Amino acid sequence: MSGDAWRVVDTGLRPAAENMALDRALLEARQAGESPNTLRFLQFEPAALVGYHQDVARELHLEYCAAQGIAVQRRITGGGAIYFDPAQLGWELFLDRHGLGTADMAAIAARICNAAAAGLQALGVAARFRPRNDIEVDGRKISGTGGVFDGEALMYQGTLLIDFDVEKMLRVLRIPAEKLTRRAIASARERVVNLRELLGSLPPLDDVKAALTRAFAEAFGVDMAPAQLNDNEQRRYRGALAELDTREWVYQPERVYPPQTTRQGMHRCDGGLIYANVVFEPAARLLRQVWFHGDFFVSPRRLVADMEAALRNTPLADLRATLAGCFAARAAHGIGLGADDFATAVENAVAAAPAPAAPSCGEASHAD
Amino acid sequence: MGTVKGCELPEDLYYHIDGNVWARRREDGSLDVGMTAYACSLAGQIVSFTPRKIGKTVRQDKSCGTVESGKWVGPVKAPVNGEIVAVNDAVVADPGLINRDPYGAGWVVRLQPSNWEEDRASLLTGAAALDAFAARMDADGFGGC
Repeated sequence: MSGDAWRVVDTGLRPAAENMALDRALLEARQAGESPNTLRFLQFEPAALVGYHQDVARELHLEYCAAQGIAVQRRITGGGAIYFDPAQLGWELFLDRHGLGTADMAAIAARICNAAAAGLQALGVAARFRPRNDIEVDGRKISGTGGVFDGEALMYQGTLLIDFDVEKMLRVLRIPAEKLTRRAIASARERVVNLRELLGSLPPLDDVKAALTRAFAEAFGVDMAPAQLNDNEQRRYRGALAELDTREWVYQPERVYPPQTTRQGMHRCDGGLIYANVVFEPAARLLRQVWFHGDFFVSPRRLVADMEAALRNTPLADLRATLAGCFAARAAHGIGLGADDFATAVENAVAAAPAPAAPSCGEASHAD
Repeated sequence: MGTVKGCELPEDLYYHIDGNVWARRREDGSLDVGMTAYACSLAGQIVSFTPRKIGKTVRQDKSCGTVESGKWVGPVKAPVNGEIVAVNDAVVADPGLINRDPYGAGWVVRLQPSNWEEDRASLLTGAAALDAFAARMDADGFGGC
């Protein structure tokens, strides 16, 4: 792509529905050849966003969102539910697949994530791409990503945590963590990190955008120039907003979602006690999400986050090999436990009787 | 069984090369539609599938369902104009079927073509399809299934 010019569009702070509609409009316009390749920055008024294929009621505490004025929206990209507020920066690339040198979707994601990580490194943060879709700093997630393609056009987007309210996230998302206790909040904090925490102060937003812009320009060998949305995009945006700013789009009442179970498994071994909270799809034998906690010691500590990331959307049949791979990749060790012990905890969760309905956040004890 | 760069591409099927989908004509004239082994290789493990609804009319090259893999969402393109007359519920429940058996149990929707005799001209089959996929794989920089 050397010599090409990409456009940089900053659409500022907006409600979630407007941001989703702009995603749709810019992707359509790119596919129709009405727009150049584009880097977009965006920010959100408080919002809970589910992935394209997710069930809103399954993923979010809707009563809490309603009470707090948190918008609920559905992305056009894949991946899991996230909480977004003005303390995060969104970045997005709208590209033609030609010129990327590959049609392999995982390779495209890796290339984009490596570029974003380089941008964060320029800010003085040891950010790295963690397969399949995260950017992390020493095992803690700082940017989650996802994409959508149609024909030759693609859009790939990421969140960047500038600052972050972990407790609020736990109240908004139905993640299979421990109940909402101080310990659960501390446990969640170990899994995410933000720029303010890493840098010691809030970095100027313009500096962050400039660093990301330079990194994408360098990674793809292009020049970047600020621009506004064109008339076709504005027209497409109005149409998209009319479709997406609706209950039909957000809740998709006619969709059928494969059954899921959320269960906890326990495994006691010489090294201690491992709990695995597991979201599982029985028909597909697919692990959707795993959350480990308990009393055990592993080194490096980031291994827990590595294992959880590696098990996202993984067939149960691949469980043991996946965890063994995590241990091997980090030359990791535990005291009195190994990869198979974590696998056993997950298998016990899959085999367990259904968990009793979890209390909602409002009912959950704050005592630890 | 045809094979290009290690990807199975049965020569008796009709292919929409740009959409990377296949169609198999049934006795009643309807078409089973699915993703090619090549499309599966580019996507990786498929974890969600949402078909468009039975009774919906779809235009050629437009989406008759969406799949998700590795947090990427993408369409399964209709190879011809037609109406969706069946969806594969087994694939909705277990989308990995598409990866495991793309030309059999992993079919995704059944279309009743509205103008088969005309639309089939834009599809390729047999050796011509294999040649077209070989060219596309080269253009895509594809290493092999």
